[in-house]
Amino acid sequence: MSGGKHDAIAADSGPVTDHEYDGIREYDNPTPGWWKWVFGASIVFSVLYAVFFHASVYGWTVQDVWARQQTAYYKQVFGAVGELKTDEGTILSQMSNPEFMDVARATFVANCAACHKRDGGGDVGVNLCDDSYKNVEKVEDLFKVITDGAANGAMPSWKTRLSSNERVILAAYVASLRGTTPAAGKVAEGKVIAPWPKAPAPGAK
Amino acid sequence: MSTAEAAVGTGEARAQTGVRPESTSMERFTYDDAIVRKFMLATVVWGLVGFVVGLVIALQLVIPSVVNYTTASGSRPFAFLGFLVSTEFLTFGRLRPLHTNAVIFAFAGNAIFTAVYYSTQRLCKARMWSDTLSRLHFWGWQFIIVCAALTLPLGFTQGKEYAELEWPIDVLIAVVWLGFFGTNFFMTLKVRRERHMYVALWFYIATIVTVAMLHVLNSLAIPAGWLKSYSVYAGVQDAMMQWWYGHNAVAFVLTTPFLGLMYYFMPKAAERPVYSYRLSIVHFWSLIFVYIWAGPHHLHYTALPAWASTLGMLFSVMLWMPSWGGGINGLLTLRGAWHKLTDDPVLRFFVVGVTFYMMSTFEGPLLSIKTVNMLSHYTDWTIAHVHGGALGWNGFLTFGMIYWLAPRLFQTRLHSKKLAEWHFWLGTLGILMYVVPIYIAGITQGLMWRAFDKSGSLQFPDFVETVTKLMPFYWARVGGGVLFILGATLMAYNLLRTWMARPAVYEEPVQEAPALRPLVETPPKFKSRLEANTEFSHKGDIWLQKAADGWWHRLLERRPAKMIVWSLIAVASGSLLEIVPLFAIRSNVPSIASVTPYTPLELAGRDVYVAEGCYNCHSQMIRPIWSETKRYGDYSKPGEFVYDHPFQWGSRRIGPDLAREGGQRSNLWHLLHFQDPRQSITQSIMPSYAHLLESRLDMGEVARHVRAQAMIGVPYGEMVKEGKAAESARAQAKQIADDIATSGGPTGLEDKKVTALIAYLQRLGTDISKPPPAAPAEAGASEGAGTAASADGAGH
Repeated sequence: MSGGKHDAIAADSGPVTDHEYDGIREYDNPTPGWWKWVFGASIVFSVLYAVFFHASVYGWTVQDVWARQQTAYYKQVFGAVGELKTDEGTILSQMSNPEFMDVARATFVANCAACHKRDGGGDVGVNLCDDSYKNVEKVEDLFKVITDGAANGAMPSWKTRLSSNERVILAAYVASLRGTTPAAGKVAEGKVIAPWPKAPAPGAK
Repeated sequence: MSTAEAAVGTGEARAQTGVRPESTSMERFTYDDAIVRKFMLATVVWGLVGFVVGLVIALQLVIPSVVNYTTASGSRPFAFLGFLVSTEFLTFGRLRPLHTNAVIFAFAGNAIFTAVYYSTQRLCKARMWSDTLSRLHFWGWQFIIVCAALTLPLGFTQGKEYAELEWPIDVLIAVVWLGFFGTNFFMTLKVRRERHMYVALWFYIATIVTVAMLHVLNSLAIPAGWLKSYSVYAGVQDAMMQWWYGHNAVAFVLTTPFLGLMYYFMPKAAERPVYSYRLSIVHFWSLIFVYIWAGPHHLHYTALPAWASTLGMLFSVMLWMPSWGGGINGLLTLRGAWHKLTDDPVLRFFVVGVTFYMMSTFEGPLLSIKTVNMLSHYTDWTIAHVHGGALGWNGFLTFGMIYWLAPRLFQTRLHSKKLAEWHFWLGTLGILMYVVPIYIAGITQGLMWRAFDKSGSLQFPDFVETVTKLMPFYWARVGGGVLFILGATLMAYNLLRTWMARPAVYEEPVQEAPALRPLVETPPKFKSRLEANTEFSHKGDIWLQKAADGWWHRLLERRPAKMIVWSLIAVASGSLLEIVPLFAIRSNVPSIASVTPYTPLELAGRDVYVAEGCYNCHSQMIRPIWSETKRYGDYSKPGEFVYDHPFQWGSRRIGPDLAREGGQRSNLWHLLHFQDPRQSITQSIMPSYAHLLESRLDMGEVARHVRAQAMIGVPYGEMVKEGKAAESARAQAKQIADDIATSGGPTGLEDKKVTALIAYLQRLGTDISKPPPAAPAEAGASEGAGTAASADGAGH
C-alpha cells in the first residue's frame, strides 16, 4: 500500500486493495456478517426442508392435500345425504333444497353457462327456461342428458367431470329453471312436454 | 493495514517471484468506440420499439370494452379501434412474444453489448480483438432482431416463451453469439494488457458461456419446413428444459451482464472504489452456481415431479443472498458519495435501478416458495415482478449508462441535464404506476380464483368475472407505460441533440500500456532436499493462510481460460444434476395407456394453436388445488403430455385453462367463439380469430408435420405413409364441418384452419378417461373411440 491517494480513500472506509482497473479501485472490506449468516441459514433451511418433505415420514404431497380437500368438500356438501338416487322423486325433491341449489347454480355457471347462458336462456345450447325440450320427456331424462350428452356430443357428457350427486342436483337446478324468464330467451326447440310432477312430500322415500 | 491485507500483499509479491520481469516497452493502441456508439443507438431504437409494443398489448387487454361501447343512440364511436383485437398479425398472442423478445434480446441485449464493448476494452487495456467480428456481431444481431420482428407477427414460432424464434434464426443466434461475439470477447481477453481480470469481466464470461449453453440445448428441434420445427423434447421434459432456459435467460441475460455493467459504470460514475472485493468473489460464484438450479420454480404444482419442484424452490431461497451481494456491493459503493445524487441523474438512475434489483431478487425467492406460488402463479403478480426488474433494474441501469456514455462517446456535453432529470422522474413514476396496480390485479385475481362461498362452491365460477374486475388496474398500467415511454422518448431526443453537437471528427486518444508477457514459472533450485522440504511446507503454510483471503482467486483472475472452464463447471453441474434424472428415470413420467398421439388434423390444429400464441393467455395445466379442479376438472398428470412437442402449459391465465377443454362445449360454440368471442361471452377480451374461418389448411403440410413428429419418436405408425395423414385429416375435418353445419352454423369449413383448431381443442385432456387402445401402435393415430369412460382419477 503506497501513495497518498489510496490512503485518503482508505481513511474513510477501510483498506483498499492494490487492484486498479481503468481507474476503478476496490475496498478490501470483508463480506458483511449478516450476509453470511442469512446465506448460511438459507442453506440450512433448504436441507431441513428437503429432508422433511422427501426423506421423512412426516412430509406430505400436494396430491395428499388435494385428496383431503376433496373428501372434506363431499362431506360438507353431501355428507348428510350420502349417495343420491337418480330417479324422478329424488331429483324433484332436491329442487326445494336451497343449499343444493346454490351448489348446482355454481356448477351451472362454471360448466353450462357458456352454451346455455347464465340464466338458462340458451345460446348455442337450447333454451332451458321454456316448456320445449329436445331430448327430455321426464325429469330424470335431464340427468341422463347431463350424464351421457346428446346431439352427437354437441351437448357434452359430464359423466367423467361431475360426480353422480353433482349431476343429480344439477338436473334439479335445470328443472327449476323451467318457467323462469331469461333476459333473452332462444326460440323454442323440440316439443312441449308435460309439467314436472309435484315433488314427493318431504321425508317420503 | 490489516493482517488479511498483508497476506494478500505478500501473496502478490510471492507470486511474482520466479516470474520473468514484465517488459517495460510500451505498446500504443486505440479503443474502438464507433462500435459502442452503434450498439448504443440500437439500444435506444429497439428499446422504444419494445416499449411501444408493450403499450399496444397492454391496450389490447382494455380496448374491447371501448370498442363495444355503445351510446344511448346505439352508435359505437370507438368501433374503429376494433382492428387492435381482430387483425391477424396484431393479436395479443402474436405481439406478446414480440414485446418480450424485443425488450430482452433487442433492448437489454444491445445494452449489454454497449457495456461490454466499452468496458472490456478499457479493463483489458486493449482494442477489441477484431473490428470485423465486432461489426459482424453488430449487424448480425440487428438482422436477427429484424427477422424476429417479421416472423413473430406472421405466426412463425416454436411456441416456447422467450425462445419463440424459429430454427434458422436460432442457428443464426448461436453463430452470432458464440462465433462473433464470444470469439471476439475471449480473444480480447487473450490479448489484454492488464494482468488481472476485473469482476465485470467475470460476469461477462459467465454470461457468454451460459447463454450459449442454454440457447443451444433448449432450442434443439427437428425442422418440419423452413419456418416450422418441433422441439425434440415433449411434455414434462420440455417444460423442464424450457424453464431451465427461461429462468436463466433472466439470470444470464438480465442479471449477470447487468451486474458486470454495474461493477464498471457505478464506481466510474460515483468515482468511488467498489465496496468489497471479497464480497464480489463470493457472490459471483454463489450466484452463477445457485441460479442455474432455480428454473423449476416456474412449474410448482404442475405435472413436474415434486423433487424437481423442491430443488427449484430451495435454490431460489438460497439465491437471495448471492443476488443481494451484487446489490449491496453496488449501493455501498456510493458510501461517501450520496451527496452526488442530488445533481447527477446518472447516479440517480443507478441507485433506483439497483434498488429495484434488490426488491426483485427478494421477491423472486418469495414467489418461489410453493405456497406463495400457489397464489401468484398464472396471475399478474408475475407480470408485475418481471416489470419491476425489467423497467427498474435493466431499464434504469441502461439509461444511467447511456447518460454517462453519451458525452464521452459523442465527445461533447450532454445536451440537457434537465431533460435527463425529467426522464428520471417520469420513468420512476411510470414504473410505480405500472407495477403497483398490476400487483393488486395479480393478487385480486389469484384470490378470486380460489374463493369459495358458504356452500363450498366457487364464488366466481365464471372466469370472465375475474378478468373484468381487473380493468381499472389495466388502465392504470397503460398510464404507467405511457409515462415510461415518454421518459425514454425524452432520452432519445436528448441523445439526438447531443449527437448533433458532436465534433466533426471524433478524437481517438492513443493509449499506452506495456504488453503482458506470458507468465513463465521457473522452478526454484534448491541446494538440498532439506531446503526443498522446508520451502515446500513453508509454501503450504502460506497457502492455507491465504486461501481464506481470496488469494487463490487472484490467481484465477489472470487466467481467462480457467475462468471460462470454472464458470462452465459451475453452471453445468446444477443443470446436469437436475435435467439428467428427469430424462433418465422413467418413474418421473408414468405413462398412461390411453394417451395416444394427436390425429393429423388435431396436430394441424395444434400448429395453429402454437402459431397464434394461444399459450400466452391460456394455460394447459390444471394444478392439484381444489379450487382449480373445481373450475377446470381433474388435475393434469405427467403422462398426458408425452406427445406434446412442444409443451403448451403456459404461464399466465388471461383466459381460462384449457387442459380439459375437450368435449366441454359443442363444435358450433367454438366456431362462433373464434369468429367473435364477444358474441359468446360479452365481456371477453380475447381477440377475434375470424381469419381462421377463411384461411385454408395445407394438407401437404399436414403430412410433412406428421412425418417430422414421427422422426422425434411420436408413434404415428401407418400415418407416415403417402397420403394417409391427409386422408385421415380430411375425414375428421368433414365430420366436424358437417356437425357445425347441421347444428345451424356456416357450411364449407372442411378445409379451414378453424376446423383443425376445434379438433385439437376437442381432444385436449380427454385421453385419460378413455379405455386404453387395443393395439396401441395401430390405433395410435386413429381417433380415440368410445365414450364409456374409465373415469381414471376423475373422482368427482
